[in-house]
Amino acid sequence: MIALEFPPINEVLRWKDLFPGFNKIALIVVAAALIGSLIFLLAGNKDPMKAPKGIRNLAESIVEFIENGIIMQTMGRDGLGWTPFLLSLFVFIYLCNVPGVIPLLQMPATARMALPLFLSLVVWVVFIGTGIKHQGGLGYLKSSLFPPGVPKALYVLVTPIELISTFFVRPFSLTVRLFANMLAGHMLLVTFAVLSKALFQAEGNPGLIPVGILPLAMLVGLTAFEVMVAFLQAYIFTILASVYIGSAAHPEH
Amino acid sequence: MLTAVVIQPSGAVRVSFVSAGGEEHLIDPSECLFEPENPVPAGTKIEQSECGPGPSPILPEMKELAWSGGAFLVFAILMRYFLYPRLRKGMDARYNSIREGHENADAARSGARSEVAQYEAAVAAAKVEAAKVVDAARVTLESERNAKIAEANTRINAKREAAQRDAEAAKAAVRGQIESAVSDVVTSAVEAATGKRPDSAAVSRAVADVMSAGAR
Amino acid sequence: MEALSALVAAFDPAEGDALKAAEAASTSGFAYGLAAFGSAIGIGFLVGKSVEAMARQPEAAGMVRTTMFLGIAFTEALALIGFVVFILIGL
Repeated sequence: MIALEFPPINEVLRWKDLFPGFNKIALIVVAAALIGSLIFLLAGNKDPMKAPKGIRNLAESIVEFIENGIIMQTMGRDGLGWTPFLLSLFVFIYLCNVPGVIPLLQMPATARMALPLFLSLVVWVVFIGTGIKHQGGLGYLKSSLFPPGVPKALYVLVTPIELISTFFVRPFSLTVRLFANMLAGHMLLVTFAVLSKALFQAEGNPGLIPVGILPLAMLVGLTAFEVMVAFLQAYIFTILASVYIGSAAHPEH
Repeated sequence: MLTAVVIQPSGAVRVSFVSAGGEEHLIDPSECLFEPENPVPAGTKIEQSECGPGPSPILPEMKELAWSGGAFLVFAILMRYFLYPRLRKGMDARYNSIREGHENADAARSGARSEVAQYEAAVAAAKVEAAKVVDAARVTLESERNAKIAEANTRINAKREAAQRDAEAAKAAVRGQIESAVSDVVTSAVEAATGKRPDSAAVSRAVADVMSAGAR
Repeated sequence: MEALSALVAAFDPAEGDALKAAEAASTSGFAYGLAAFGSAIGIGFLVGKSVEAMARQPEAAGMVRTTMFLGIAFTEALALIGFVVFILIGL
């Protein structure tokens, strides 16, 4: 007979303060910012005229991925000025996601509401600011609330939908997408870890112990899956930010 | 609230909700992950479960918000004003040098092509020149040969004519000797037959007539 | 069911709590299942069509892939909201 106790959700998500006001999530975000800066700092220190290898190659591949894989696909050549912002967004989110699969840390910083909320608010402010800068306040409101090419009578329907979807659903879905994906991955890993631990420690029924291999194998597979999800969510967050900024800058697209 | 899934030896699975008060482990309220819902007087120990379920897991925590916001803003500003421009400058410098290298290579290649073309033109001109020289030499040789052949022919003809003349002269000399000998014989024969010496002029005329008739 | 659980709760508060929790657990399960249902169909359809498009025009694969990820992100959002609701009411 085994007793499987799933810990309360706050116990797998909340962390005690390491120092007053500084917990594991804070440690992860600070480490992410430091590691990201360090990668680009070291990459910048290498001789640029040689063929890039090692850390410089890594940094340049990331930059080119942002430029060719995200900006050119969504904003076109005009958007290349946004590279540093989207680059820092991508690198920061990835480095905050990836501790979810790093042993001992085992916690994606993005599985807490604070980080995704802050990042999507930043993106929200940036794309509204871009729209106002490129089209003027009224022009931006007009182009986003009254999309051209719609019959006049339909504006009764379209305008409220556009208002809600552009100014409220966008930041909300950005936040929830990143947060819920990472939270779901974290919970999945916790579930299988708890299950395999319970099976390996099954008392009074040694026959159950080898069965623990199954959830352990699943745990390993899901860890690999989470590595992919960590990248994919950073990519999707960045590409959506790029799409929103692009649509604010050039409404006709 | 804890969820317990109990698998019994018979194979039945029972799911039930149990409270965690099973084992007694009392903790200090400050060890809770969050402020307990019901404030406890300081110094008293409480059970783990008395910390309560805590705030909703969805709510953002202010300290996490502050740390993550600060970290991201610092990172983004560093990236915007320091890290990215530095990397980009290096990349652009390298790309430019690569492009320059390409252009230099292109220029060198086209230079080499034009040199090859010049060389080929020179070779063609030289070939034409050589053909001309060869033709001229052939013409000269031909004429020289013709001249030599003609000279040889004339020499041969002259020699042949001289030989013919010599032969004629010898023949005439021989004929003259034969005529005189025959005249002598005819004269002596006629003298023996007639007893008188015939006129030598008449005899030689007759012999010449007979011989030229015989030679005919 | 609700009347029954209310009745039980009136007699035994602890039992009532347990019943409420059980009800919440099953409801949250349904909430997540229903939310995932539509998104699963949507994502399957979307990726299938994208693969078809990429197979027909391999030179446009990059653009199709970007658009596919965007579509997945939007489609998936509903399932994720379902997951958040699952956590909110279930735990």
